[in-house]
Amino acid sequence: MTFTISTAEDGSERLAIEGELDAVSVSDLRTDLEKLLARQPARIEVDLSRLRMVDSSGVGALVSLYKRARAQGGSVVLTGLRDQPLAIFRLLRLDRVMVGAEIVAPAPAGSTSTSKH
Amino acid sequence: MTGTLDHRDVTLRAVSAACKLVTRRPQGPTWNEFRMQVVSAVGEAFNNIVLHGYEGRGDGEIEIEIRATLDRITIAMRDYGSSFDPTTVPPPDFDSLPESGWGLFIIKAFMDISYTPGRPNVLTLSKTLPSEPADEAPKAEGTPR
Repeated sequence: MTFTISTAEDGSERLAIEGELDAVSVSDLRTDLEKLLARQPARIEVDLSRLRMVDSSGVGALVSLYKRARAQGGSVVLTGLRDQPLAIFRLLRLDRVMVGAEIVAPAPAGSTSTSKH
Repeated sequence: MTGTLDHRDVTLRAVSAACKLVTRRPQGPTWNEFRMQVVSAVGEAFNNIVLHGYEGRGDGEIEIEIRATLDRITIAMRDYGSSFDPTTVPPPDFDSLPESGWGLFIIKAFMDISYTPGRPNVLTLSKTLPSEPADEAPKAEGTPR
């Protein structure tokens, strides 16, 4: 798992996670998530378009980020969920329960609909 | 193998490879979903044994037995840690948005499960490959010359 965190001029943060976010790799992320939350951003975009696999530990880290950012008055937008991670989020009903988090999945292959960004 | 998270990856690679043995045609959406669900469930089960069954220990053993037949895979996971009956655990409270406790729900959602506590504890996960929808079946070859 690799990840990057970048801060935009408007103060919003962008977290991009690539590879596998699981019980093995999640500890690599936690320290940087603490630093990110300490900046109290108004908006966090979590780009998961290159996330290949997630397990319950990885889901827990993202839920924690979401809850803590919201508690600080910020918003969280999850983008690019697909394949196994999207299936896990749907199974756990996180696409419905994480109210306020806009989960934007890519359009299916062959779809003619316009995707939202 | 040793019951540490470092050995999870090799376990999941073996399970993923075994999923190819349950069909003569390991491809297409139905098989991809089958493999995704099996690998996800076994990964969660491995986590549970290491993080809960062998909590605080680094010397536990996990024995993995994979049986693949046409249309079905069965994975038996044996450990010598604390016993934990997954069939008695209620589902998570989705509305409270918990940060943990999802693993068992994922396992049960994706695979059939049985558990026998003891020395060793035996967790058996199995799953049947669903029939391939007609539109996923191999296309007929062109007209022979």
